[in-house]
Amino acid sequence: MEFDINSLGTGLALLGAVLAALMAGIGSALGVGLAGQAAAGVVTEDPTLFGKVLVLQLLPGTQGIYGLLIGFITLTQIGILGGSPDVSFAKGLLYLFACLPMAFVGLISAKWQAKASVSSISMVAKRPDQFGKAMIFPAMVETYAVLALLISILSVTSIGGLNV
Amino acid sequence: MAVVVMKRMGIYALKADRKKILERLQMENVIEVQTEKDSSEVFSKTDTSSAVQTFDRNIKLLDNAVEILDEYVESPKGLPAMFAGRKPISGSDFNKIEQRSQEVVKLASQLNKLQKEILENQSELLRLEGQIDSLLPWVNLDVSMRVSKTKSTKVFIGTFPNQISELEIKELLAHADVNGSELEIISEDEQQTCVFIVCSMEDGDRAEQALRAAGFAYPPSPSKIPPKQRLKELEQQMQVCRENISAAESEIKTFAQNRTDFLYTSDYFTARAEKYKVLGELWQSPHVFSLTGFVPEKKAQSLKNLLENKFGAFVEISDPLETDDVPVKLKNNLYSEPVEGVIAGYSLPQKGEIDPSSIMAIFYYVLFGMMLSDAGYGLIMVIACSIILAKCKNMEESMKGTFRMFLYCGITTVFWGAMFGSFFGDAVTVIAKTFFNRDMAIPALWFSPLDDPMRLLVFSLAFGVVHIFTGLAAGLYQFLKSKSYKDALYDVVFWYLLVGGLIVALLSTQMFAEMVNLSFILPQAVGNVALIIAGIAAIAIVATSGRESRSPYKRLLKGIYGLYNISGYLSDILSYSRLLALGLATGVIATVFNQMAAMVAGDGGVVGVILFSLVFIVGHVINLAINALGAYVHTNRLQYVEFFGKFYEGGGKPFKPFAGNTKYIKVTEEK
Repeated sequence: MEFDINSLGTGLALLGAVLAALMAGIGSALGVGLAGQAAAGVVTEDPTLFGKVLVLQLLPGTQGIYGLLIGFITLTQIGILGGSPDVSFAKGLLYLFACLPMAFVGLISAKWQAKASVSSISMVAKRPDQFGKAMIFPAMVETYAVLALLISILSVTSIGGLNV
Repeated sequence: MAVVVMKRMGIYALKADRKKILERLQMENVIEVQTEKDSSEVFSKTDTSSAVQTFDRNIKLLDNAVEILDEYVESPKGLPAMFAGRKPISGSDFNKIEQRSQEVVKLASQLNKLQKEILENQSELLRLEGQIDSLLPWVNLDVSMRVSKTKSTKVFIGTFPNQISELEIKELLAHADVNGSELEIISEDEQQTCVFIVCSMEDGDRAEQALRAAGFAYPPSPSKIPPKQRLKELEQQMQVCRENISAAESEIKTFAQNRTDFLYTSDYFTARAEKYKVLGELWQSPHVFSLTGFVPEKKAQSLKNLLENKFGAFVEISDPLETDDVPVKLKNNLYSEPVEGVIAGYSLPQKGEIDPSSIMAIFYYVLFGMMLSDAGYGLIMVIACSIILAKCKNMEESMKGTFRMFLYCGITTVFWGAMFGSFFGDAVTVIAKTFFNRDMAIPALWFSPLDDPMRLLVFSLAFGVVHIFTGLAAGLYQFLKSKSYKDALYDVVFWYLLVGGLIVALLSTQMFAEMVNLSFILPQAVGNVALIIAGIAAIAIVATSGRESRSPYKRLLKGIYGLYNISGYLSDILSYSRLLALGLATGVIATVFNQMAAMVAGDGGVVGVILFSLVFIVGHVINLAINALGAYVHTNRLQYVEFFGKFYEGGGKPFKPFAGNTKYIKVTEEK
């Protein structure tokens, strides 16, 4: 049987979708876990701070959602969800590349955002009135996850219309 | 709308009236006391710290009592404190609390004593348990463990630190020439062997030596009575302890109806401690005292009248001095007041700064709505916040503000959800397809972001430009108000020209128009003019940014660095792309949950409907929670970093009027 390279297309695209969900998910799981440990420590001292530290703990969780988002859009675009998958080799590669920003930036930004979150949690423990500021520091890190998400979304949604 | 104008108030009155005046001020809740530092020979301060300490002790006692009660008696369920707010109490009721305070403190200390008794008995129980544990191996011994000899024999009662058999001990004794011994192993395990050995008196010393060499030891503090009896005794003691504990517990439960008394009296002492702290700040002479503080202008005159007429005090109202650190209070209407909390989270306006509430409120609501952008979620927010606001009238003002803010945010969320055609994601389509086998969809009033993300991106960035330019306009207004026209020109107008010129120039290029699918393109000539304007503005910025430095080189370098700020504008504008990202996130995740629900529903039927609802509800609750949090955080970020960065510094000290600072009650005026 002759090998048709285009049969790899769907696999490559799926690899991209899965990487986005996988790596960003791993990053968020690490991040939320790390921040959760700090948050639990604060709550043992002052249970009234639960609401505030919970918000800070959740901040590194968004990357996982962005990864899911990219994964899902890719799955829909390549027809694995609700359709029949038919992706050429070239397009498969394109989808794979399009998913990479979210995958890598998701993983790494979640981890570093978690470190900022941990510091913010200890800040809130000492000065609960400074919650507004404490929230901003981790949110600054997230900007880059948002930018990566943006590039991934724009790429994934436009690949379908390309003529390759 | 505005920062409340503060007046400086000096109150001078007879010392005899000082408590009454302070109480009145505390109830009025309008003056922040800031007494002057300087002293004179006539005036001095009284030391009230010991009184304050006594009150603090009482507060602690009462708060402890409530904690103890909550441990043994289920606390009355009601609205969470956050919603319930403080209970309004009339002045005469407050007086009753005052009269009963000593009595309630006594009750509280009784409660504390009971708790202490319980703790003591509990540790006694532990001690007894330990004793029983060490006695258990000896239970089969029917003489006292203290027995060491009879008339003609020597008795050894003790332990070896290892497991050792009768035979081994016998051998041991035989080696030591001990003739004839009686030996019983009371109990044995891996860690110790308890033995009872009898031998004749004359062999006693040799036997002891041999045994000791093998690790034999007498038990520590043996009891006079045989182990079995001792055990019974100990168990009786434990029983007594248990009875004591349960007696104390049931006594504690009788205090349940005093719970509110404890809370209110704790508040009474908090208020009193507060009053005494202020009392300690007053300058007093033998007959008069003086007090200075800040009062909102609107309240100043009525307070002056009140104090002068009722207490015969002399009150002086003046403008704050240049050096005064005037506390800041914001005054806003229903539309802009809810975002005061957001501003306070950043920092209140400094002297000379404007209150940014009213310009930022509209942006806040709209940005939040764009990020959450789902009509269904918005509806839930609107309904939930309205119910809470209607039901919990007693809620603290700041809490009410927060809910009102989310109410408005919910309204804009409904708006944007309708624009983008999102109602619980694509719930209508999915439900129609799964259960009714029909194709149906809510049409987007504007467009569906997933179909054309580029369009939404451009809109988001354009919205960002509007937001940032509004921030610059606020800066301009501030400069004009303080009459620093040069700063207004250098720091605002030039930037307007530079950023605006570059944007117009960009809009006239073919490449940009193609990239973002613009439906129009500005003529080339307009673009060129805009570029020239931007160039001039850039040169002007280089020339003026370093105007504080004297040295021309430094000036030039600072100027170039100032121009570098253009990258800041670029990243600020790009930052608004999160509007697209977060908006899409809500919609797509909602879609994922809908699909999952449709999958478990299968072909419909009652089971299908139930499964569908289950997945649907859980999924959307999660999605709403996560995305509302995301929208909140990122709206704050856009306001704090991108918007406030253009004009607002903050650093004002919040107005903290002299009040009760109570947690459970709110004293209202007599009718």
